[in-house]
Amino acid sequence: MASADCSAERKRYVYEAPVQDLIDELGKMPGIGPKSAQRIAFHLLKLPAQDALKLSHAIARAKELVRFCSRCFNVSAHDVCHLCADSRRDDGVLCVVEEPRDVVAIEKTQEFRGRYHVLQGCLNPIEGIGPEQLRVSELLARLEPENVTEVILSTNPNIEGEATAMYLGRLLRPLGITVTRIASGLPVGGDLEYADELTLGRALEHRRALD
Amino acid sequence: MVLRSISIEDFRNHASTALEFDRGLTVVSGDNGEGKTNLLEAIGWVATLASFRGATTDTMINVASDSAVIRVMIEVGGREQTIEAQLNRRGRNRILVNKQPLRKTRDLLGTIRVTVFSPDDLSLVKGGPGERRRFLDETLSSLHLRHHADRADLDRVLRQRNTVLKQAAGRRGGDIDATLDVWDTKMVQVAERIATDREHLVECLSPVVEEVYRSLVEDSTRVQMNYRRSWTGELTAVLAEVRDEDIKRRVTTVGPHRDDLEIVLNGFASRTHASQGEQRTIALALRLASQRVITTTIGDEPIVLLDDVFSELDEQRTRALMDQLPAVQTILTTATGSIPEGVLSSLHYRVSNGLVEPDEAGRSA
Repeated sequence: MASADCSAERKRYVYEAPVQDLIDELGKMPGIGPKSAQRIAFHLLKLPAQDALKLSHAIARAKELVRFCSRCFNVSAHDVCHLCADSRRDDGVLCVVEEPRDVVAIEKTQEFRGRYHVLQGCLNPIEGIGPEQLRVSELLARLEPENVTEVILSTNPNIEGEATAMYLGRLLRPLGITVTRIASGLPVGGDLEYADELTLGRALEHRRALD
Repeated sequence: MVLRSISIEDFRNHASTALEFDRGLTVVSGDNGEGKTNLLEAIGWVATLASFRGATTDTMINVASDSAVIRVMIEVGGREQTIEAQLNRRGRNRILVNKQPLRKTRDLLGTIRVTVFSPDDLSLVKGGPGERRRFLDETLSSLHLRHHADRADLDRVLRQRNTVLKQAAGRRGGDIDATLDVWDTKMVQVAERIATDREHLVECLSPVVEEVYRSLVEDSTRVQMNYRRSWTGELTAVLAEVRDEDIKRRVTTVGPHRDDLEIVLNGFASRTHASQGEQRTIALALRLASQRVITTTIGDEPIVLLDDVFSELDEQRTRALMDQLPAVQTILTTATGSIPEGVLSSLHYRVSNGLVEPDEAGRSA
């Protein structure tokens, strides 16, 4: 017990407090482990002061100016994001996604001209995320005023994403709205032999008649 | 598929061990606690991505290290392949096939198939239902790649569902019920498939187990196996029925994770009524039957790993087992001096304190 405490203390005071604080903060970022945090910290310390400050200003500015769109909860620099403000888009079709980065992914396809709704997560009880933690009531509140006729559920094709889609489907269908789920299957331009067997299995299960 | 060689680093008590395998039988001998089983465990891990002793990754990595390496060379259809697995204490395990990293470790499954015989197999008969479910699931994973994913999905859904049950804190309500409905539906999809797959497997295995058992004991004992679901009828309806109970107990009380495999010997439950000797024979019969079913279905024979099995068997059963074992590549460990008569091996190693060296004296003619 005593020796374990000792080594923990020694570890904590290897660096001067400001350096260690920086490493600790960086280490809280997703995908950054203790080694990467250390590497980034020393890179920052070696930078000219103005370059390092530029980064800290960018963080402060983004935190100050960026908020969530009051309609779709995508990240936005204004009260209403540019996608919600665009009058050329179709109000009738709503694409529901988990995260703002999913909006970007779907926008890149240039196949969708409707509106978005960002749930800001998916049902995941283990992580303490239930329907109340998601933007579900906000979604329901949009349907009537915006005359939504179809909702495309575009949550991730994993267990939690599927469960979220199922949950929303059950809420939306009784309201007389067409509810669809994005398909999953083979990547375009790929070879069958390189597809993993689960994806290929799903693609076979959801095959369609050739027209 | 032939296993040509293995080298392991920082795996349990093996700091650095390398050995080659015979195409027939390889014998590894040594005193207890010197690291014989650890070698088989390493081979088993590359085959199933899990320890056949049910150990966690952490316990398999040497205490002095943060990662362990298992490198095996196999021969498939006359071509050599190297597989390198890195087991990491922190972060994901990594697998390289011919030096190319695999995107998912799961993709390795099905490359190497093994059947492990171990003294712990007695718990297949004597132990709780979990041991028997694990036996069925391991065999199924060798037969269909999909089963491994189904099992992982079921575990995940159950963890999510049980968390909701705990959050309910004993009370039902709109949101709890609506969320549970969703997890119930997800659970039913995968649970039905797992239960049906296991039932089919038991149907296939049952006659083979009886046949093998009879030839092991040389009589006409009746052995029947039945898969016992923890529910009857539609799982959706049953989950709805037991929801109050589930909320009260804060766990999912029905599902494939509560099922059992019943083994009946001459009309009596083997778990409670069979003698220790009979239970050992049933365990052997289960493993041999699993080996046969995999061989006939896949068309490729799993490698046989025999972990110190002879120390627990009398002379007659040892001979019967040797007769029943298929003529495939076999790796056998044995405590010093207990090699059964008639075992011919061309390669013989001795393990002591995690070090392996060829044993010239132990080589039988």
